[in-house]
Amino acid sequence: MWDMVSRGERGRCVTGIEGLDNILGGGIPLSNLVLVAGGCGTGKTTLAFEFLVRGSLMGESGMLIPTVEKKDILISNIPPFTFFNDKMLVKGQVAVTELEQVMESANLSPSKMDEAAIRKLVGAIGKMVAASKVKRLVIDSIDTITMDIKEDALNALLLSELSAVLYKNECTALLITGEETCKTIEGRVADGVIMMGNYDRRGDLLRTMQVGKMKGTSHSRSKYVIDLTPAGVLVTPLLKGGS
Amino acid sequence: MSEELHARVAEKLEEVGPAVAMALEIKIDNYFDVVRGIIDDFAAKKGLITVYITASVPSSALNGALQALEVNTNGLMFVDCVSHSLMGSIQRIENTAYVESPTMLENIILKVEYFSRIAEGRKMVVVIDSFNSFAMSSEHKMLSEFLTVLMTSLKAKEAYPIVLTIPDQLKPDLKEMLTMVCDVIVPLS
Repeated sequence: MWDMVSRGERGRCVTGIEGLDNILGGGIPLSNLVLVAGGCGTGKTTLAFEFLVRGSLMGESGMLIPTVEKKDILISNIPPFTFFNDKMLVKGQVAVTELEQVMESANLSPSKMDEAAIRKLVGAIGKMVAASKVKRLVIDSIDTITMDIKEDALNALLLSELSAVLYKNECTALLITGEETCKTIEGRVADGVIMMGNYDRRGDLLRTMQVGKMKGTSHSRSKYVIDLTPAGVLVTPLLKGGS
Repeated sequence: MSEELHARVAEKLEEVGPAVAMALEIKIDNYFDVVRGIIDDFAAKKGLITVYITASVPSSALNGALQALEVNTNGLMFVDCVSHSLMGSIQRIENTAYVESPTMLENIILKVEYFSRIAEGRKMVVVIDSFNSFAMSSEHKMLSEFLTVLMTSLKAKEAYPIVLTIPDQLKPDLKEMLTMVCDVIVPLS
Protein backbone atom coordinates (compact mmCIF):
# COMPACT_ATOMS: atom_id res chain seq x y z
CA MET A 1 0.00 0.00 0.00
CA TRP A 2 1.05 3.60 -0.55
CA ASP A 3 2.90 4.90 2.44
CA MET A 4 1.25 8.12 3.57
CA VAL A 5 3.62 8.56 6.50
CA SER A 6 6.48 9.57 4.23
CA ARG A 7 4.38 12.53 2.99
CA GLY A 8 3.49 13.74 6.46
CA GLU A 9 0.30 11.95 7.44
CA ARG A 10 -2.67 13.95 8.73
CA GLY A 11 -3.86 13.56 12.27
CA ARG A 12 -6.52 10.93 12.92
CA CYS A 13 -9.88 10.88 14.51
CA VAL A 14 -9.72 7.50 16.23
CA THR A 15 -13.30 6.28 15.92
CA GLY A 16 -12.91 3.87 18.86
CA ILE A 17 -14.61 1.20 16.78
CA GLU A 18 -11.65 -1.14 16.75
CA GLY A 19 -12.44 -2.96 13.52
CA LEU A 20 -13.10 0.26 11.60
CA ASP A 21 -9.92 1.87 12.91
CA ASN A 22 -7.95 -1.17 11.74
CA ILE A 23 -9.53 -0.97 8.28
CA LEU A 24 -8.60 2.72 8.09
CA GLY A 25 -5.06 2.25 9.38
CA GLY A 26 -5.70 4.12 12.62
CA GLY A 27 -8.90 6.11 12.22
CA ILE A 28 -10.56 8.70 9.97
CA PRO A 29 -8.21 11.46 8.83
CA LEU A 30 -9.04 14.49 10.96
CA SER A 31 -11.83 16.77 9.67
CA ASN A 32 -12.92 14.38 6.93
CA LEU A 33 -16.55 14.47 5.88
CA VAL A 34 -17.61 10.87 5.50
CA LEU A 35 -20.80 9.43 4.06
CA VAL A 36 -22.13 6.29 5.75
CA ALA A 37 -24.32 4.78 3.08
CA GLY A 38 -26.62 1.80 3.07
CA GLY A 39 -30.13 0.42 3.17
CA CYS A 40 -32.46 -0.07 6.11
CA GLY A 41 -31.23 -2.16 9.03
CA THR A 42 -27.62 -2.25 7.93
CA GLY A 43 -26.32 -0.60 11.12
CA LYS A 44 -25.60 2.96 9.90
CA THR A 45 -27.16 4.74 12.87
CA THR A 46 -25.64 2.32 15.39
CA LEU A 47 -22.17 2.81 13.89
CA ALA A 48 -22.55 6.59 13.92
CA PHE A 49 -23.84 6.65 17.48
CA GLU A 50 -20.94 4.51 18.68
CA PHE A 51 -18.59 6.95 16.90
CA LEU A 52 -20.03 9.75 19.07
CA VAL A 53 -20.04 7.79 22.33
CA ARG A 54 -16.48 6.51 21.87
CA GLY A 55 -15.42 10.06 21.15
CA SER A 56 -17.08 11.25 24.33
CA LEU A 57 -15.19 8.59 26.29
CA MET A 58 -11.98 10.00 24.79
CA GLY A 59 -12.94 13.53 25.83
CA GLU A 60 -14.19 14.73 22.43
CA SER A 61 -17.55 16.50 22.29
CA GLY A 62 -20.03 15.12 19.80
CA MET A 63 -23.18 16.44 18.18
CA LEU A 64 -25.95 14.46 16.58
CA ILE A 65 -28.39 16.21 14.25
CA PRO A 66 -31.35 13.89 13.67
CA THR A 67 -33.29 15.04 10.63
CA VAL A 68 -36.17 12.59 10.77
CA GLU A 69 -36.69 11.29 14.30
CA LYS A 70 -37.66 13.51 17.20
CA LYS A 71 -35.06 13.78 19.95
CA ASP A 72 -37.11 11.86 22.55
CA ILE A 73 -37.84 8.97 20.21
CA LEU A 74 -34.23 8.83 19.13
CA ILE A 75 -33.00 8.71 22.72
CA SER A 76 -35.43 5.91 23.55
CA ASN A 77 -33.97 3.89 20.65
CA ILE A 78 -30.32 4.28 21.56
CA PRO A 79 -28.48 0.95 21.20
CA PRO A 80 -27.88 -0.74 24.57
CA PHE A 81 -24.12 -0.13 24.59
CA THR A 82 -22.54 -1.15 27.88
CA PHE A 83 -20.12 1.78 27.57
CA PHE A 84 -22.87 4.38 27.08
CA ASN A 85 -24.22 6.39 29.95
CA ASP A 86 -27.30 8.67 29.86
CA LYS A 87 -25.22 11.31 31.64
CA MET A 88 -23.34 11.81 28.38
CA LEU A 89 -26.52 13.32 26.96
CA VAL A 90 -27.30 15.36 30.06
CA LYS A 91 -23.79 16.81 30.29
CA GLY A 92 -23.83 17.57 26.58
CA GLN A 93 -20.83 15.38 25.78
CA VAL A 94 -23.13 13.97 23.10
CA ALA A 95 -25.49 16.81 22.20
CA VAL A 96 -28.65 16.05 20.23
CA THR A 97 -29.98 18.96 18.20
CA GLU A 98 -32.91 18.42 15.85
CA LEU A 99 -32.60 19.77 12.32
CA GLU A 100 -35.69 21.87 13.00
CA GLN A 101 -33.77 23.75 15.72
CA VAL A 102 -30.83 24.33 13.39
CA MET A 103 -33.20 25.58 10.68
CA GLU A 104 -34.98 27.89 13.12
CA SER A 105 -31.70 29.34 14.34
CA ALA A 106 -30.92 30.26 10.72
CA ASN A 107 -34.48 31.44 9.91
CA LEU A 108 -34.78 28.80 7.23
CA SER A 109 -37.60 26.85 5.67
CA PRO A 110 -36.74 23.32 4.47
CA SER A 111 -38.75 23.74 1.29
CA LYS A 112 -36.60 26.58 -0.03
CA MET A 113 -33.06 25.24 -0.23
CA ASP A 114 -31.37 27.59 -2.69
CA GLU A 115 -27.74 28.65 -2.60
CA ALA A 116 -28.30 31.33 0.04
CA ALA A 117 -30.24 28.92 2.27
CA ILE A 118 -27.51 26.31 2.00
CA ARG A 119 -24.88 28.81 3.06
CA LYS A 120 -27.07 29.91 5.99
CA LEU A 121 -27.68 26.33 7.10
CA VAL A 122 -23.99 25.45 6.97
CA GLY A 123 -23.22 28.70 8.79
CA ALA A 124 -25.65 27.75 11.57
CA ILE A 125 -24.11 24.27 11.91
CA GLY A 126 -20.66 25.86 11.92
CA LYS A 127 -21.63 28.20 14.75
CA MET A 128 -22.93 25.32 16.86
CA VAL A 129 -19.82 23.26 16.19
CA ALA A 130 -17.53 26.15 17.11
CA ALA A 131 -19.53 27.20 20.19
CA SER A 132 -19.52 23.72 21.75
CA LYS A 133 -16.05 22.77 20.43
CA VAL A 134 -17.65 19.80 18.70
CA LYS A 135 -15.06 17.37 17.35
CA ARG A 136 -17.49 14.75 16.03
CA LEU A 137 -20.63 15.51 14.10
CA VAL A 138 -23.30 13.11 12.85
CA ILE A 139 -26.20 14.07 10.60
CA ASP A 140 -28.81 11.29 10.44
CA SER A 141 -29.76 11.43 7.63
CA ILE A 142 -28.42 13.93 5.12
CA ASP A 143 -31.07 12.74 2.64
CA THR A 144 -33.74 14.80 4.39
CA ILE A 145 -31.77 17.91 3.50
CA THR A 146 -30.57 16.91 0.04
CA MET A 147 -33.99 15.74 -1.16
CA ASP A 148 -35.14 19.36 -1.08
CA ILE A 149 -32.19 20.39 -3.21
CA LYS A 150 -32.97 19.68 -6.83
CA GLU A 151 -29.66 20.53 -8.47
CA ASP A 152 -26.45 18.48 -8.19
CA ALA A 153 -24.39 21.65 -8.08
CA LEU A 154 -26.21 22.80 -4.94
CA ASN A 155 -25.77 19.42 -3.28
CA ALA A 156 -22.07 19.66 -4.06
CA LEU A 157 -22.07 23.16 -2.59
CA LEU A 158 -23.72 21.93 0.62
CA LEU A 159 -21.05 19.28 1.14
CA SER A 160 -18.09 21.44 0.16
CA GLU A 161 -19.25 24.30 2.42
CA LEU A 162 -19.81 21.88 5.28
CA SER A 163 -16.41 20.35 4.64
CA ALA A 164 -14.76 23.77 4.88
CA VAL A 165 -16.52 24.54 8.18
CA LEU A 166 -15.53 21.18 9.63
CA TYR A 167 -11.93 21.59 8.53
CA LYS A 168 -11.73 24.98 10.24
CA ASN A 169 -13.03 23.48 13.49
CA GLU A 170 -11.05 20.21 13.28
CA CYS A 171 -14.34 18.36 13.42
CA THR A 172 -14.87 14.97 11.77
CA ALA A 173 -18.34 14.17 10.44
CA LEU A 174 -20.39 11.16 9.51
CA LEU A 175 -23.34 11.91 7.25
CA ILE A 176 -25.83 9.07 6.96
CA THR A 177 -27.50 8.35 3.67
CA GLY A 178 -29.69 5.64 2.25
CA GLU A 179 -28.48 6.37 -1.27
CA GLU A 180 -26.01 4.33 -3.28
CA THR A 181 -23.36 6.99 -3.05
CA CYS A 182 -21.08 5.90 -5.90
CA LYS A 183 -23.68 7.23 -8.30
CA THR A 184 -24.38 10.53 -6.55
CA ILE A 185 -22.67 13.87 -6.47
CA GLU A 186 -22.42 13.57 -2.68
CA GLY A 187 -20.28 10.45 -3.04
CA ARG A 188 -17.93 12.26 -5.37
CA VAL A 189 -17.60 15.33 -3.15
CA ALA A 190 -17.30 13.58 0.24
CA ASP A 191 -13.85 12.77 1.63
CA GLY A 192 -14.89 9.25 2.48
CA VAL A 193 -17.59 6.68 1.88
CA ILE A 194 -18.33 3.79 4.22
CA MET A 195 -20.77 1.39 2.58
CA MET A 196 -23.01 -0.65 4.85
CA GLY A 197 -24.99 -3.49 3.37
CA ASN A 198 -26.55 -6.90 3.54
CA TYR A 199 -24.81 -9.84 1.95
CA ASP A 200 -27.00 -12.78 1.06
CA ARG A 201 -25.06 -16.03 1.12
CA ARG A 202 -27.41 -18.91 0.34
CA GLY A 203 -30.19 -17.36 2.39
CA ASP A 204 -28.00 -16.19 5.27
CA LEU A 205 -28.18 -12.41 5.48
CA LEU A 206 -24.93 -10.99 6.81
CA ARG A 207 -24.47 -7.32 7.71
CA THR A 208 -21.44 -5.93 5.91
CA MET A 209 -19.21 -2.87 5.90
CA GLN A 210 -16.76 -1.73 3.24
CA VAL A 211 -14.75 1.45 2.97
CA GLY A 212 -15.03 2.54 -0.66
CA LYS A 213 -13.14 5.78 -0.32
CA MET A 214 -11.22 7.66 2.36
CA LYS A 215 -9.07 10.64 1.47
CA GLY A 216 -5.84 11.05 3.42
CA THR A 217 -5.14 7.43 4.22
CA SER A 218 -4.46 4.11 2.59
CA HIS A 219 -7.14 1.69 3.70
CA SER A 220 -8.54 -1.78 3.18
CA ARG A 221 -11.12 -2.01 0.40
CA SER A 222 -12.29 -5.49 1.40
CA LYS A 223 -15.76 -6.32 2.57
CA TYR A 224 -16.21 -7.10 6.27
CA VAL A 225 -19.02 -8.69 8.26
CA ILE A 226 -20.24 -6.76 11.28
CA ASP A 227 -22.31 -7.54 14.35
CA LEU A 228 -24.15 -4.95 16.41
CA THR A 229 -23.57 -5.91 20.04
CA PRO A 230 -23.80 -4.23 23.45
CA ALA A 231 -19.98 -4.14 23.33
CA GLY A 232 -20.17 -2.10 20.14
CA VAL A 233 -19.93 -2.78 16.44
CA LEU A 234 -17.69 -5.81 15.94
CA VAL A 235 -15.96 -6.49 12.64
CA THR A 236 -14.45 -9.57 10.97
CA PRO A 237 -13.35 -10.24 7.37
CA LEU A 238 -15.96 -11.71 5.02
CA LEU A 239 -14.97 -15.31 4.37
CA LYS A 240 -14.46 -16.07 0.71
CA GLY A 241 -13.89 -19.80 0.83
CA GLY A 242 -11.19 -19.67 -1.80
CA SER A 243 -13.53 -18.10 -4.37
CA MET B 1 -17.73 -41.73 34.29
CA SER B 2 -14.06 -42.33 33.69
CA GLU B 3 -12.07 -40.44 36.31
CA GLU B 4 -8.97 -40.98 34.28
CA LEU B 5 -10.03 -39.50 30.96
CA HIS B 6 -11.24 -36.10 32.14
CA ALA B 7 -8.16 -35.68 34.27
CA ARG B 8 -6.03 -36.67 31.28
CA VAL B 9 -7.74 -34.02 29.10
CA ALA B 10 -6.97 -31.35 31.69
CA GLU B 11 -3.36 -32.52 31.99
CA LYS B 12 -2.94 -32.40 28.23
CA LEU B 13 -4.33 -28.86 28.04
CA GLU B 14 -1.99 -27.81 30.84
CA GLU B 15 0.95 -29.41 29.07
CA VAL B 16 0.24 -27.84 25.68
CA GLY B 17 -0.52 -24.38 27.07
CA PRO B 18 -2.31 -21.39 25.52
CA ALA B 19 -2.16 -20.16 21.91
CA VAL B 20 -2.01 -23.69 20.54
CA ALA B 21 -4.86 -24.91 18.33
CA MET B 22 -5.70 -28.37 19.57
CA ALA B 23 -7.97 -31.00 18.01
CA LEU B 24 -9.28 -33.60 20.45
CA GLU B 25 -10.28 -36.84 18.74
CA ILE B 26 -13.17 -38.21 20.75
CA LYS B 27 -15.67 -41.05 20.64
CA ILE B 28 -19.39 -40.64 21.18
CA ASP B 29 -19.26 -42.60 24.43
CA ASN B 30 -16.48 -40.50 25.98
CA TYR B 31 -17.95 -37.15 24.92
CA PHE B 32 -19.07 -36.01 28.38
CA ASP B 33 -15.81 -37.15 29.97
CA VAL B 34 -13.89 -34.95 27.57
CA VAL B 35 -16.21 -31.97 28.00
CA ARG B 36 -16.02 -32.34 31.77
CA GLY B 37 -12.24 -32.44 31.55
CA ILE B 38 -12.17 -29.18 29.58
CA ILE B 39 -14.78 -27.22 31.53
CA ASP B 40 -14.47 -28.55 35.06
CA ASP B 41 -11.00 -30.00 35.51
CA PHE B 42 -9.21 -27.40 33.43
CA ALA B 43 -11.06 -24.10 32.80
CA ALA B 44 -12.92 -23.77 36.11
CA LYS B 45 -9.88 -24.73 38.17
CA LYS B 46 -7.72 -22.17 36.37
CA GLY B 47 -10.36 -19.44 36.61
CA LEU B 48 -10.77 -19.30 32.82
CA ILE B 49 -14.01 -18.70 30.98
CA THR B 50 -15.18 -21.29 28.49
CA VAL B 51 -16.84 -20.24 25.26
CA TYR B 52 -18.57 -23.33 23.93
CA ILE B 53 -19.55 -23.19 20.25
CA THR B 54 -22.16 -25.82 19.66
CA ALA B 55 -23.30 -26.95 16.25
CA SER B 56 -24.37 -30.36 17.55
CA VAL B 57 -26.72 -29.98 20.52
CA PRO B 58 -28.82 -26.94 21.64
CA SER B 59 -27.14 -25.04 24.44
CA SER B 60 -30.11 -25.53 26.79
CA ALA B 61 -29.87 -29.33 26.47
CA LEU B 62 -26.12 -29.33 26.87
CA ASN B 63 -26.24 -26.96 29.84
CA GLY B 64 -28.89 -29.16 31.49
CA ALA B 65 -26.79 -32.29 30.97
CA LEU B 66 -23.68 -30.64 32.38
CA GLN B 67 -25.54 -29.44 35.46
CA ALA B 68 -26.97 -32.93 35.98
CA LEU B 69 -23.40 -34.23 35.90
CA GLU B 70 -22.50 -31.54 38.46
CA VAL B 71 -20.02 -29.90 36.15
CA ASN B 72 -19.09 -26.40 37.30
CA THR B 73 -20.79 -24.21 34.69
CA ASN B 74 -19.75 -20.87 36.21
CA GLY B 75 -17.84 -19.05 33.53
CA LEU B 76 -19.41 -21.13 30.77
CA MET B 77 -20.80 -19.26 27.76
CA PHE B 78 -22.40 -20.70 24.67
CA VAL B 79 -22.46 -19.75 21.03
CA ASP B 80 -25.50 -21.75 20.00
CA CYS B 81 -25.73 -22.45 16.25
CA VAL B 82 -28.41 -25.12 16.58
CA SER B 83 -31.48 -23.80 18.40
CA HIS B 84 -32.62 -21.34 15.72
CA SER B 85 -32.55 -23.94 12.97
CA LEU B 86 -34.76 -26.30 14.99
CA MET B 87 -37.65 -23.88 14.39
CA GLY B 88 -39.20 -24.54 17.78
CA SER B 89 -39.48 -22.12 20.65
CA ILE B 90 -35.97 -21.54 21.88
CA GLN B 91 -35.32 -22.25 25.54
CA ARG B 92 -33.12 -19.24 26.10
CA ILE B 93 -30.47 -19.55 28.77
CA GLU B 94 -28.13 -16.98 30.25
CA ASN B 95 -24.71 -16.32 28.78
CA THR B 96 -25.72 -17.62 25.39
CA ALA B 97 -25.38 -15.91 22.02
CA TYR B 98 -27.53 -17.40 19.31
CA VAL B 99 -26.42 -17.69 15.70
CA GLU B 100 -29.17 -18.47 13.21
CA SER B 101 -27.32 -21.24 11.42
CA PRO B 102 -23.95 -23.01 11.63
CA THR B 103 -23.33 -21.72 8.10
CA MET B 104 -23.10 -18.13 9.39
CA LEU B 105 -19.44 -18.61 10.19
CA GLU B 106 -18.48 -14.94 10.42
CA ASN B 107 -21.22 -14.38 13.00
CA ILE B 108 -19.76 -17.19 15.09
CA ILE B 109 -16.36 -15.45 15.03
CA LEU B 110 -18.06 -12.20 16.07
CA LYS B 111 -19.94 -13.85 18.97
CA VAL B 112 -16.66 -15.26 20.27
CA GLU B 113 -15.18 -11.76 19.95
CA TYR B 114 -18.14 -10.39 21.89
CA PHE B 115 -17.57 -12.83 24.75
CA SER B 116 -13.90 -11.97 24.67
CA ARG B 117 -14.78 -8.27 25.09
CA ILE B 118 -17.11 -8.85 28.02
CA ALA B 119 -14.57 -11.19 29.62
CA GLU B 120 -12.47 -8.07 30.20
CA GLY B 121 -9.07 -9.67 29.97
CA ARG B 122 -9.92 -13.05 31.50
CA LYS B 123 -8.32 -15.83 29.50
CA MET B 124 -10.63 -18.10 27.49
CA VAL B 125 -10.97 -21.69 26.50
CA VAL B 126 -12.90 -21.89 23.22
CA VAL B 127 -14.44 -25.24 22.29
CA ILE B 128 -15.74 -26.01 18.79
CA ASP B 129 -18.27 -28.82 18.99
CA SER B 130 -17.82 -30.31 16.57
CA PHE B 131 -15.68 -30.29 13.47
CA ASN B 132 -17.93 -33.05 12.07
CA SER B 133 -21.08 -30.97 12.51
CA PHE B 134 -19.57 -27.92 10.85
CA ALA B 135 -18.24 -30.06 7.99
CA MET B 136 -21.80 -31.25 7.33
CA SER B 137 -23.22 -27.77 6.92
CA SER B 138 -20.44 -25.70 5.36
CA GLU B 139 -18.50 -25.82 2.15
CA HIS B 140 -15.05 -27.18 3.00
CA LYS B 141 -12.92 -24.28 1.76
CA MET B 142 -15.14 -21.92 3.70
CA LEU B 143 -14.81 -24.07 6.82
CA SER B 144 -11.05 -24.16 6.48
CA GLU B 145 -10.91 -20.36 6.19
CA PHE B 146 -13.24 -19.98 9.17
CA LEU B 147 -11.09 -22.20 11.37
CA THR B 148 -7.92 -20.46 10.27
CA VAL B 149 -9.31 -16.97 11.04
CA LEU B 150 -10.78 -18.08 14.37
CA MET B 151 -7.66 -19.97 15.48
CA THR B 152 -5.37 -17.08 14.53
CA SER B 153 -7.48 -14.60 16.46
CA LEU B 154 -7.69 -16.88 19.50
CA LYS B 155 -3.97 -17.55 19.49
CA ALA B 156 -3.35 -13.79 19.45
CA LYS B 157 -5.52 -13.56 22.57
CA GLU B 158 -3.52 -16.35 24.28
CA ALA B 159 -6.69 -18.42 24.45
CA TYR B 160 -6.98 -22.20 24.42
CA PRO B 161 -8.71 -23.15 21.13
CA ILE B 162 -10.05 -26.71 21.09
CA VAL B 163 -11.75 -28.52 18.21
CA LEU B 164 -13.72 -31.64 19.08
CA THR B 165 -13.77 -34.23 16.33
CA ILE B 166 -14.97 -37.78 15.85
CA PRO B 167 -12.29 -39.19 13.54
CA ASP B 168 -14.16 -42.38 12.54
CA GLN B 169 -16.73 -40.25 10.70
CA LEU B 170 -14.30 -38.05 8.78
CA LYS B 171 -13.31 -38.36 5.14
CA PRO B 172 -9.55 -38.14 4.36
CA ASP B 173 -9.76 -34.58 2.95
CA LEU B 174 -11.36 -33.36 6.17
CA LYS B 175 -8.70 -35.09 8.26
CA GLU B 176 -6.12 -33.30 6.14
CA MET B 177 -7.84 -29.97 6.74
CA LEU B 178 -7.84 -30.55 10.48
CA THR B 179 -4.12 -31.29 10.38
CA MET B 180 -3.58 -28.02 8.52
CA VAL B 181 -5.57 -25.77 10.84
CA CYS B 182 -4.63 -27.35 14.17
CA ASP B 183 -1.18 -27.41 15.74
CA VAL B 184 -1.75 -30.54 17.80
CA ILE B 185 -4.09 -33.50 17.32
CA VAL B 186 -4.71 -35.57 20.44
CA PRO B 187 -6.37 -38.98 20.11
CA LEU B 188 -8.51 -39.81 23.17
CA SER B 189 -9.45 -43.42 22.90
